[in-house]
Amino acid sequence: MNWLLAKQIRGRLTAWYVGVLAAILATYLVVVFLFQYRIVASQIYHDEVQDVETVEGLLYFESNGKLQLQQNYFSRPQSHLLIDRLMEVRDLSGAVLYRTPNLGGVSLGGSTMPGEGDSSFNQRIVRMPDGSHVSLISHLHTLQGHVLLIRLGYSLVPFHQRMKQFLGILLLAFPVALILAGIAGYQIAKRAFVPLEEMARKAKQITASNLHDRLRIADANDELGHMGQAFNELLDRLEQAFQQLNSFTADAAHELRTPLAAIRAVGEVSLQQPATSERGKEAVVSMLEEASRLDETISGLLLLARAERAGAVGPNRFSLVDVVHEVAEVLEVLAEERRIRLVTSVRDEEHNAVVTGDRSLIRSAIMNVVHNAIKFSPVDSTVQITYSVSDTASRTIEVVVQDQGPGIPLAEVDAVFGRFYTGSSKNGHESQSTGLGLSIAKLVVERSGGEIRFDRHTQTGARCVIRLPAHHLRETS
Amino acid sequence: MGNAAHRSHVLIVEDDAKLASALVSGIEAEGYAASLATSAEEGFFLLHSGRPDLMILDVTLPQRSGIDLLRQLRKERVDVRVLMLTSHNTIEDRVEGLRTGADDYLGKPFSFPELLARIEALLRRTLPQENSHEVRVADLCLNTKYRTGTRAGSTLELSQREFDLLLYLAENAGRIVSREMLARDVWKETSRFTPLDNVIDVQIARLRKKIDDSHSVKLLQTVRGLGFALREPQA
Repeated sequence: MNWLLAKQIRGRLTAWYVGVLAAILATYLVVVFLFQYRIVASQIYHDEVQDVETVEGLLYFESNGKLQLQQNYFSRPQSHLLIDRLMEVRDLSGAVLYRTPNLGGVSLGGSTMPGEGDSSFNQRIVRMPDGSHVSLISHLHTLQGHVLLIRLGYSLVPFHQRMKQFLGILLLAFPVALILAGIAGYQIAKRAFVPLEEMARKAKQITASNLHDRLRIADANDELGHMGQAFNELLDRLEQAFQQLNSFTADAAHELRTPLAAIRAVGEVSLQQPATSERGKEAVVSMLEEASRLDETISGLLLLARAERAGAVGPNRFSLVDVVHEVAEVLEVLAEERRIRLVTSVRDEEHNAVVTGDRSLIRSAIMNVVHNAIKFSPVDSTVQITYSVSDTASRTIEVVVQDQGPGIPLAEVDAVFGRFYTGSSKNGHESQSTGLGLSIAKLVVERSGGEIRFDRHTQTGARCVIRLPAHHLRETS
Repeated sequence: MGNAAHRSHVLIVEDDAKLASALVSGIEAEGYAASLATSAEEGFFLLHSGRPDLMILDVTLPQRSGIDLLRQLRKERVDVRVLMLTSHNTIEDRVEGLRTGADDYLGKPFSFPELLARIEALLRRTLPQENSHEVRVADLCLNTKYRTGTRAGSTLELSQREFDLLLYLAENAGRIVSREMLARDVWKETSRFTPLDNVIDVQIARLRKKIDDSHSVKLLQTVRGLGFALREPQA
């Protein structure tokens, strides 16, 4: 999602950039074209005027009175842009005295207009019968007593063709420039967003267990640096709040211990004093039992706080199968007392998988689960503990605790792991329980990178499945 | 127990009034002389004026902490044994306390029988252990070398755990042993949050069956609210 957003921003930035560049380029293109047009047009006019002046010097009347043009006129340098030079010379009555052959006998500019060529060089554009346009200059000139109207024109066809070519080149460069600019813009935007994506990637990895991690800031003075700093400061505040929350349970539990110590000491001292009556002793014993339960709850809360602080990689590396045997050995006497068979079966022991974590926490977790199973089992039933390395490839160790008790109602399968949950069925066991055992087990197992759940599909009794990652497969000796 | 000629003097430095007064009366009932200070400063004064043999020192005290006081005492090389009491009972806390110079360490809430056992152990001069493999309580005899036991000459069939349990009770013969002490010292369980109390009760019941059932004198007693004791019944 973050990546997509960055990509969108990058795309939008590029689109804006290309759009603005297109507008600037288009304006530039129009201006350049018009400017070029004006320059060339004025160049043509200038050339025409020069040509007219040249022609004036080259016209002469033959002895028979026919107007002629010296032939070396055509070898004069011509305008670079135009080669089709057209000319017609008339007298004041409008009779055509001379016409260049390339006009093919067609009139250049039609009949004489009143006042044409009177002053300096009139310029106008005329349309030829074949549809082409000609830039025409008219000029009056006196030669050997005759007043002549010289009309000299350049065909505008090549000029227009040039201008079209020029426009074509300009228009061709336009999209090419935009595409290049777009690619460059996109790359620049992409590079600019690399630190942002790096931050997003890092931020995604920050969870409750590594809240002390911070974003790496390349330059604290740029905009991304500011954002990164703001984010890191947010993390500081979060971490502080989280730690306060975490230590609250522990602090509260410790605070409760002094008054509890007083209750116990007062009670136990009075029990040892002969002066206390039997009835008084009864009362004190019952208070002490309650104090003991309170102590157990406080220890449970402290254990929860400790489990919450525990990382996935704990301080010890140990064999889980040993822990399972140990738990079974400690609790066996309880099972025997209630005529329950506690059967431990170990599969794949040859793998000897090793777990990394807090051994005493994990031991406590398994002990609580097995104790729970014994507690809810009917007399003469079996509690089966199965240990197996479920899959050497996935490196998961599975401990399954199956009893033949009443089982757990489907609706409560997840709720049993809640704190202070003591079950809805009333069979007398719950009153002894603090309701923390399974929630501690769940927290410990999950903090150790594993999972714990009750099987929803089991037919009889309750089936608790604990899976823990095997961090290392011990060498088989 | 307190010697008639020289009653050991225990100084208690504890700011919680109820706990402190219970400790004073309980310790005096055991035959020790007890005095009380409610702050580190007062404790320091009483220590120099009274010369107690043992100091029970609470870590959390107003103004100046117990650890701070202890540090000063050890710097001045004051000769007194120190038993620390604290509600912060993690391994790190223990290590800090012991490094500072505490002789022993007890986490709150503690059982009173355990406090007495610790006091007694701290006051006892360290004598070389008797070079014997036998522990006797009345007609009960335990051999630690072969891990066997007899009562009135007949062999007891004991499991490993039962032997460990009986040995611990026998070594503390005459004294009350709390469930916490058994959990920690016999089952090596550090966390108090375990279903071990039930296990201990069942194990004690089985042990009682084995050592006492066929005898008129019952040695293994349950002291309600406090724990268990291996001793001949008091008249």
